[in-house]
Amino acid sequence: MLEKKAAPMPPATQIRAKNSKKLRDDALYGWLFASPWVIGLLVFFAVPLISSLYFSFTTYSILQPGEFVGFRNYAELMSDSVFWKSFSNTIYFVVFFVPLSIFFGVALAMLLNMNVRGMSIYRTIFFLPTLVPAVAMAVLWMWLLNPGFGLVNGMLDVIGIQGPAWLGSETWSKPSLILMSLWGIGQSVVIYLAGLNDISQDYYEAGDIDGASWFHKMKSITLPLLTPVIFFNLVMGIIGAFQQFTLPYTMTGGRGTPADSMKFYVMYLYDNGFKFFKMGYASAMAWILFIIVMALTALIFYNSKKWVHYQGE
Amino acid sequence: MKGIKKGAFLLAIFTLILSVALAGCGGNGNNSSGGDENQAAGGNAEISSNTADTGNAGGSGEKATITVWHAMTELTGEAMDAVVKAFEEKYPNIKVNSVYIAQQGEGKNEKLLAAIAGGNAPDVAYFDRFEVATWAAQGSLTDISGYAEASGVNADNFYPFAWEEANYEGKLYAMPTTTDARLVYYNKDHFKAAGLDPENPPSTIQELEEAAGKLTIKDGKRFKQIGFIPWYNQGWFYGWGWSFGGEFMDVEGNVTANDPKNVEALTWIANYAKKYNIEDIASFTDSQGTTTMDPFFTGQLSMQVSGPWTVPQAEKFNPDLNYGVFPMPTPTGDNYTTWSGGWATVMPKGSKNPEAAWEFMKFFSGEEGQEIFSKISGDFSINDRVNEKLGYKEHPIFKEFIKVLPVSHARPVMTQGSLYWNELANAVDLATRGEDPKALLDKVNENVTKALNQ
Repeated sequence: MLEKKAAPMPPATQIRAKNSKKLRDDALYGWLFASPWVIGLLVFFAVPLISSLYFSFTTYSILQPGEFVGFRNYAELMSDSVFWKSFSNTIYFVVFFVPLSIFFGVALAMLLNMNVRGMSIYRTIFFLPTLVPAVAMAVLWMWLLNPGFGLVNGMLDVIGIQGPAWLGSETWSKPSLILMSLWGIGQSVVIYLAGLNDISQDYYEAGDIDGASWFHKMKSITLPLLTPVIFFNLVMGIIGAFQQFTLPYTMTGGRGTPADSMKFYVMYLYDNGFKFFKMGYASAMAWILFIIVMALTALIFYNSKKWVHYQGE
Repeated sequence: MKGIKKGAFLLAIFTLILSVALAGCGGNGNNSSGGDENQAAGGNAEISSNTADTGNAGGSGEKATITVWHAMTELTGEAMDAVVKAFEEKYPNIKVNSVYIAQQGEGKNEKLLAAIAGGNAPDVAYFDRFEVATWAAQGSLTDISGYAEASGVNADNFYPFAWEEANYEGKLYAMPTTTDARLVYYNKDHFKAAGLDPENPPSTIQELEEAAGKLTIKDGKRFKQIGFIPWYNQGWFYGWGWSFGGEFMDVEGNVTANDPKNVEALTWIANYAKKYNIEDIASFTDSQGTTTMDPFFTGQLSMQVSGPWTVPQAEKFNPDLNYGVFPMPTPTGDNYTTWSGGWATVMPKGSKNPEAAWEFMKFFSGEEGQEIFSKISGDFSINDRVNEKLGYKEHPIFKEFIKVLPVSHARPVMTQGSLYWNELANAVDLATRGEDPKALLDKVNENVTKALNQ
């Protein structure tokens, strides 16, 4: 019986040959179907990436190829005071914005995770700002923070405080920016919400049986089990914050006023590349930023083993 | 047999995928083919504009389209439209596609840069004249000396400084269109209300400060009315530096941003900012708008540095405003000066219709185009005859500008003009925020010199 069934089958070697041919064909088709993406990646990503590394060693100006200058661009950056100013502004923003966005993001997500009627409406409301394009958002906040007849100073007036110049004030410009950036954290709130939903109810039931308070449950169940999501948002938040550009650029007409307090790293990079004909210099800045972000991300990943808890581990 | 079939099948799939991918980049595909069409039409334009030169305008049925980029709105925008309309009437075989670009001039030309680098440049761009040398040095503008020579256009019809700014290393790269000058506008009613003589405006820096003090009405941290803000509107540092007797470049072409007189001027600005508290002034200036919301027109600002275009604007946005002008005060009350900028048209590298583009540039800078543009916009023409014809020399306000033109300065013609401009603007901003004026100008000097030597 068995032999009978085996008889029509081709010898093993033949099968293997056929299989490997099929595999080869599959691979070929696979590559073929992936080719638009592969070509796109190579042409629009890999090539510019590698060229920018090369350009960072030249005086390339977009219009002229420039000449090879070795590490001169990098050396000059180290003694460029505007570079350091834009760098420190960016660090300021990252240091304050990222933790605040995590704090408010988690807090909002917890609020929006409660069992209240009409919750989907509240969730929508908090998500809506992320749909506003960055430039429109900048213009909107310029009006809200308008020192003369903005809504914010208008409300402060009611309680007898003459508000500051906000975006026109060296002290308040960056806090203003952080405030308006926090307005757009809907995206991360959605991710936190998903993370919250992912936490098994079993833990809370067990906590209830043990008589844990709300605070204890948050501290010992919710937060630890939310750490993978926090970890993700931390990394993405840092990468995004280092690239802060559209809001300050729009609000200051590209100048970073007052007193360079709104001049961010990428803004200065852009100025060099597209205004001052120093694309080589700008490329060097881009690579420094890349290295910083890479190093920070690596550090967080390395560190994450200590504080990120995955469910089921 | 089977192998061939399979190969054909694979080829068919690959073609299909590739065509889908290319369709994905449809935007580009269409653009480039559109460009080709333009180019084809450009060939015709060459012929037709040649015939136009021989006096057969409109003889050819083929239409060439040229794209013109500009950043003009409001009155200047209307003036531009009028010029385009007049040009199209005179040259029926050239169609002008006039495109508003939000950022162009005063050191902001990113879009134009990208367009030139990408080989997709407009045929003509309206361009801040002081940046012509910078851009010409980068090889991004078309040398139009040949066209100018063939059409008999030369320095004769232009103010010398305007012509100089349009040239770089002996070659012509731009056609000047407008010029201006800066004076202090003052609100005569405010002067009366504050007990100042409206017919005897300040002439020295000290008098200016005293008048500004009397004109300022402050309530807590808010200004109800502010006398003067040196850096507001057209109060760029070039004007103050020259008024204080400073220079920005010496005869050998060295940068002299930290000329002691310039330092004096910036110190005055810094002290002014301190006296009125910069944050409060920022609260005021950040709340202001333009056109009907312009603080000078709404009566919140008593004096401001501005150019001739404020006259038609005042007529449109606040016809009842009772105002006058006086020269930018100097420390001594004499040796008044000012500075003149202005715009030009340039032909970026990669212009697809150079012949037709040149016709437009020539028309715009010619007497006919100048008359139309200057009349509507209130910008002065670079042609003295046009200014005379439009009656600017008799106009009560304009004549003051014309009077100061002979002693007016022009920004240094240099390859780092844009950088110098941006650096000075930044220095003023930082000085008003309390940084040391001398150190700031030293730094400007260093940066611009370094860039020049590269």
